[in-house]
Amino acid sequence: MKKIKGNSVSSGVAIGKAKIIKKHELYIERKKILKREVKLELSRFKEDVEFVVNELDKLIQDFTYSQENRDILESHKMILKDPHFNSRITELISKELHSLEHAISTYFTEAVDIFSNMNNSYLSHRVNDFEDIAYRLLSHIMDERKDILVGVDENSILLMENISPSFVTKVFDKNIQGLCTERGSRNSHSSIIARSMNLPMLVNTLGLLGNIKDGEDLIIDGNDGYVIISPTKKVLEKYQAIYKEEQNVQKELLKLIDVESITKDGKEIKLMSNIEIPQEIDQVIKYNSAGIGLFRTEFLFMDREDLPTEEEQYKIYKNIAEQCKPNSVIIRTIDVGGDKLSNILNITHEENPNLGYRGIRISLQNVPIFKQQIKAILRANIHGNIKIMFPMISGVDELLKVKEIIEICSKELINTGIAFNANMELGAMIEIPSAVITSDSIAEECDFLSIGTNDLIQYTLAVDRDNQSISEYYKPLHPAVIRSLKMTIDNAHKMGKKVAVCGEMASEKKYVKLLLALGVDELSVSPGRLLIIKKEIIDCDITEMKSKLDRILACKTSKEIDKLL
Amino acid sequence: MIRKTIKIVNKLGMHARPATMIVKAATKYRSEFKIVKSDMEINGKSIMGVMTLAAEFGSELELVADGVDEEFLIKEIAEMFASKFGEE
Repeated sequence: MKKIKGNSVSSGVAIGKAKIIKKHELYIERKKILKREVKLELSRFKEDVEFVVNELDKLIQDFTYSQENRDILESHKMILKDPHFNSRITELISKELHSLEHAISTYFTEAVDIFSNMNNSYLSHRVNDFEDIAYRLLSHIMDERKDILVGVDENSILLMENISPSFVTKVFDKNIQGLCTERGSRNSHSSIIARSMNLPMLVNTLGLLGNIKDGEDLIIDGNDGYVIISPTKKVLEKYQAIYKEEQNVQKELLKLIDVESITKDGKEIKLMSNIEIPQEIDQVIKYNSAGIGLFRTEFLFMDREDLPTEEEQYKIYKNIAEQCKPNSVIIRTIDVGGDKLSNILNITHEENPNLGYRGIRISLQNVPIFKQQIKAILRANIHGNIKIMFPMISGVDELLKVKEIIEICSKELINTGIAFNANMELGAMIEIPSAVITSDSIAEECDFLSIGTNDLIQYTLAVDRDNQSISEYYKPLHPAVIRSLKMTIDNAHKMGKKVAVCGEMASEKKYVKLLLALGVDELSVSPGRLLIIKKEIIDCDITEMKSKLDRILACKTSKEIDKLL
Repeated sequence: MIRKTIKIVNKLGMHARPATMIVKAATKYRSEFKIVKSDMEINGKSIMGVMTLAAEFGSELELVADGVDEEFLIKEIAEMFASKFGEE
């Protein structure tokens, strides 16, 4: 038995046989065809090209790619439509009787040869571009024919170096047990998708591939972040019990998909989803969530050298709004620390980034960028029910500035004759203690409040949540946190406004009933947590819970509060 | 038929991106379009052709267009070369 540590992407246990998926290798059989097969091969060529062109079109529409990458994809598409390419392949198939793969590989070998033989060193270097295109094209065409998951048993755990988001979806659709990758991070798009599907997955399992053979028994412990290779009988039995229990729980939870999110004593709690990337919408719809309570827009600005245009943003927001209709989508304007945007904005190192240049502060200092985002949202609001929300609000000042900018954006859109819908609720994130203290004024200036508990705890208790050495001070049940929640909710209700919680506290079973007793109207959680939290809501008797509230609020320590829950 | 000689002024030469831009622009027109480089003549509406031209920085090319909209085609393509395909 061997144990290898990794980073857990989603919780849950998976048990199965190891199946190593090697980096896609192209093996081209230099096959000849019969004369009577020519017609079939040519029609396959036409179909395959069409298929790949469609695939490329989809990728080009994916605005998470940089402009440069999209240009490259555009050139690949053009090669597929090239008259020279088409006539030569047709010739190779019909005159030389090459199979399709053979013809394509011959064609690109010829082309690459021409480049390699050039005497200019710079241009012969360009051959890399060319080989890359040939590789992509061939693997596209071959992938379409031989799905690498064909013949992979359901009872497998896939091991690979890295994984693409579309492959995660394939793995899920095939009911495969789980996934481990040697590289990758918890926050990659592939990981986000696996998490929203509750697919057991570990990343960053260094040394795994060198330590394992196909068919060995394997356990993924997504709760503690381990892969266990060839477990002993005792360990296997322990995990089988956990797995069985998890399956039972999941089966019961799935029954709740169509059950309304209403407490025992009849209060309807709107249960929405937090999403980080548009692809998660499938899970939002599958689990019948009441819309999106937090659509993070950071992904649009990350991993690229240029800024997303208004048009790109518009298309993404429009798409999400349309898919969620008639439910609402709450779009949060960009909320990253300045350090993560340093390649786009000119940002110098900060001594104290958490108290520095981030959230709405970046937007208000880069008004042209902020205006693009707001205009894109206003325009997309024609196609659905969008609400807009602003992060890192410390008081009414920022909100007034934001409202002024929205006003200007509306006027500019009117002047240019572009259609939009300004009938849109505005919300403020409550995550800074000063915002809690002035939440009555903030609630007066907007339509709803949404509490981001992670930052609120961090700022209220002055605890950096990523600093392991002080993690004991990070206490969601600290009386100061609970009183802050109460104050915010009471102030909002006085002004007739609703309060949502979109931070991690809403996703933890343990806190749900307390949040409801405090008066929270809406919860927003990651798609993979929707049903677990719905169960808590259905099981909750707010009236009964409220009878305990005075005692909870009188507690002096988090420990005392914990005991009462 | 119009012929126009131009020089490659972008540092990277005729790599995939400018090749894509040229073909994209040229295919909008009805005229035939060829590019000639010393002893080689290729179809300017074929990306494979344009790329295998392998024209490097400083080399000279002749643009040849023939058809109803030949003037406009040559004008647009020549401008793209002059503007270095937006590089730098």
